Amino acid sequence: MRHVSARAIGIGLLVLLCAVALAAPVLAPNDPGTSFRDRAFAPPMLPRIVAADGSWHAPFVYPLRLADRLEQRYEEDRSRRLPLSFFACGRFVCLEDERDGPWLPLGADAAGRDVLARLLFGARTSLGLALAASLAAILLGVAAGSIAGYAGGPADEILMRVAEFALVLPAVYVVLALRSVLPLVLTPWTTFSLMTGIFALVGWPWVARAVRGTIAAEASRDYAVAARSLGAGPARVLFVHLLPACRNLVATHAVLLVPGFVLSEATLSYLGLGFPDTVPSWGSMLQDAANVNVLSRFPWMLLPAAAIFLVTLAVNLSLGRQARPVPAPAQIAAGGDPAAGRIGA
Amino acid sequence: MARFRSLPAPHPIALALLALAASGACGRQTPAPAAPPAPRELVSSIRAEPRGFNRYTGRDSVTETITHLTQARLVRIDRRTQELEPWLAESWSASPNGLEWTLKLRQGVTFSDGQPFTSADVLFSFRAVYDPGVASPIGEAMRVGGKPLAVTAPDPSTVVIRFPSPFGPGIRLLDNLPILARHKLEAALDSGTFAEAWSGSTPVSDIVGLGPFVIERYEPGQRLVFARNPRYWRWDESGKRLPALDRLTLEIVPDQNAELLRLQAGQIDFTQTEVRPEDYATLKAAADAGRITLVDLGVGLDADSFWINLRPGANQARPWLHRVELRRAIAHAVDRQAFADTVFLGAATPVDGALITPGNSRWYATDLPRHPYDPAAAAALLESIGLVDRDGDGVREDGHGADASFTVLTMKGNSLLERGAAFVRDALGAIGLRVDVAPLEVGALIDRIERGDYEAVYFRFLTTDLDPALNMDLWLSSGGAHVWNPLQRTPATDWEREIDRLMHQQAATLDHAKRKALFDQVQRIFAEHVPVLQFAAPRIYVALSTRVANATPALLRPAVVLWNPDRLDVREGKRASR
Repeated sequence: MRHVSARAIGIGLLVLLCAVALAAPVLAPNDPGTSFRDRAFAPPMLPRIVAADGSWHAPFVYPLRLADRLEQRYEEDRSRRLPLSFFACGRFVCLEDERDGPWLPLGADAAGRDVLARLLFGARTSLGLALAASLAAILLGVAAGSIAGYAGGPADEILMRVAEFALVLPAVYVVLALRSVLPLVLTPWTTFSLMTGIFALVGWPWVARAVRGTIAAEASRDYAVAARSLGAGPARVLFVHLLPACRNLVATHAVLLVPGFVLSEATLSYLGLGFPDTVPSWGSMLQDAANVNVLSRFPWMLLPAAAIFLVTLAVNLSLGRQARPVPAPAQIAAGGDPAAGRIGA
Repeated sequence: MARFRSLPAPHPIALALLALAASGACGRQTPAPAAPPAPRELVSSIRAEPRGFNRYTGRDSVTETITHLTQARLVRIDRRTQELEPWLAESWSASPNGLEWTLKLRQGVTFSDGQPFTSADVLFSFRAVYDPGVASPIGEAMRVGGKPLAVTAPDPSTVVIRFPSPFGPGIRLLDNLPILARHKLEAALDSGTFAEAWSGSTPVSDIVGLGPFVIERYEPGQRLVFARNPRYWRWDESGKRLPALDRLTLEIVPDQNAELLRLQAGQIDFTQTEVRPEDYATLKAAADAGRITLVDLGVGLDADSFWINLRPGANQARPWLHRVELRRAIAHAVDRQAFADTVFLGAATPVDGALITPGNSRWYATDLPRHPYDPAAAAALLESIGLVDRDGDGVREDGHGADASFTVLTMKGNSLLERGAAFVRDALGAIGLRVDVAPLEVGALIDRIERGDYEAVYFRFLTTDLDPALNMDLWLSSGGAHVWNPLQRTPATDWEREIDRLMHQQAATLDHAKRKALFDQVQRIFAEHVPVLQFAAPRIYVALSTRVANATPALLRPAVVLWNPDRLDVREGKRASR
């Protein structure tokens, strides 16, 4: 029962995250690319219903005033309340009157851009990329691992050597070399495709090695031998009998690959292969937080990390027991470390 | 050779006697020996490994900083007052036509290894800097009108320098020339191995100089440790031999964030770079807590610059990129006050001139053509060169229907440059120009600039001297630092030809007022044709730990603090060794 409820929570959370990503244009109170001149590193303007004097009101925020630009100090003007309007401005919620400046529910970044808006739009980029790349890595890995494990012999040798070659490639340097031969400016769609391809290439060997070990071990067990004896062809044995045994394994890899790829996107963004800052993504947002000084003074810059944590948690919970498989000897032998599918630190 | 051998086990009675003797000794009231005073030591940081210790071959700023510590010049420019002051030359006189200068060298000065300093070392230094095999990066700065100075030495303490033509800055250019030890480097120069001499792998004991410090230790990737030069030739007002410090350490800290943390933690006393605007608040808090001193040096000498590649073969598919109307439109499209507020968090002054910021008050011209923020004027200028938004998508097209777009290169990892480039991108987007910003590693960026493989760049020049006649390679069309179209055989445009003429004339003029008037004309032409655009000059703050005494930070980089190292000291009461 506990597993079921945890799984429901996980699935619910995942659905919620995906819904939020899809509804970003409606939920975001501001355009994610707009820089507000007097709002660099502005603190979050959280909605309130209780005023400073203890009175209750419809949701409102206090206007923010720039006290010292260089010290990035802001003060709340508690003498005035700015009511929030729902479904009134083409968005879910916004300020009725923006003459005192924009509403920044989760604060602003160094360029004065709305962190919430970038977080919501960034979810589309980061989740889309991580899910697409994980799917591609898993499909490739399962295909290669199944063939290697089931066919054995030369096919096994060749596929596993290719996998090992892919594993020992210094991914960061390969990406840098690749970047140097590409045009300086890539369209967001090209970047998305390229990153998906790179992540899939980096991630598939881990899945392939683990799947190959499981398939090879399971193929010699009685039920698989019986299936073959009864005339089942290789495809039937593989898809109906052997691959289901890899479910837990694949689920585990999915859990590790998705957040790993979200972080990898941050690394590649830093190397110049990621998205430009005009395209919000959690990875590029985290780049702005890669400064202890900024982090200690403007902790809202770390919110993309919280979002990545939520994704990891949701995927973990939604897979329930499947995400915590009992390690089979075959898996241990495969020595898979799906987390290493991540590029860089 | 001394050897150690195992001692026999002591007899118990002997031990008891020793203990008795020790207790008796403790009972006597002998004064404890005075503890040696803690060394006067400061720690600073550099951002990169030194490429060598020879300024004659090293172009990097780290080598230049180290040279301030280990070498000395004939004359020195006081970075705060811009006045020339006697250094190894204690006095000088000029002929009435300003062509011949006679310098008297200080008597009794020796190199750090004890060898005497004479005019022969000066002659050797000039020989090295002009040697074609050395191809010294400071060689160009030591020429006047492209010709070398003629140097003779009538006696060991006199040097006569003859200029090929009148030169306005006079012997100020000698501030560029550290005097090398002939006895150490002459063999290398004669054998053609000077370029490799005093490299990073040279034993530090071989590196001698006339500066206040000698290199005591070099730990690659870690630090450089400098000890005081016991033979340094300067004394302070109280008659004490300088330098005041016993030791100075330069920690190698490539990352500016790590450098800041070390400064906050008290692990380093000052850095070689100014405070970034985003770090100001943190350091201000440390200053309020009494751990750090923040020094406001005023408006900086260098503003980040935007320029379009105007080389003849560049941007052939988009000839409108070469049009002056485009540059003027860009100048009108950027709200400079908003730029200063957004990019520099307000710690900057809007600038709209000709590379000379208000920080260089001696040469700054106030009455130049300006380009106030005016998007409508910018739009009109773009339309005048055929850039019109014909399909209503918000991006203008040229006469062939291609989008009016270009790519701006900038330096990756430099938050100010990245923010500035993004601001320009947004400002130009508002007038219908689509700009892509491509941040590159600094090496790749410089490589592309040198090869001319770019459309536009947003980067930073470093002023090497406040006098324009000492930055001729920037102003002259034949100069290597004439970034928008360098090394021209003949001036590509009439206005560059006119700038060349005026610059040669002002460099050859001795009267400052006349030189200023001529340089004002240069700035006016520059501001009309805007080959380089600047939007805001940062206000420069330097952070020093409160341990540092007698620091005289100045605007001219790279040695903002270390240009004057011999008087640096540790504040009394804060000499605890680390």
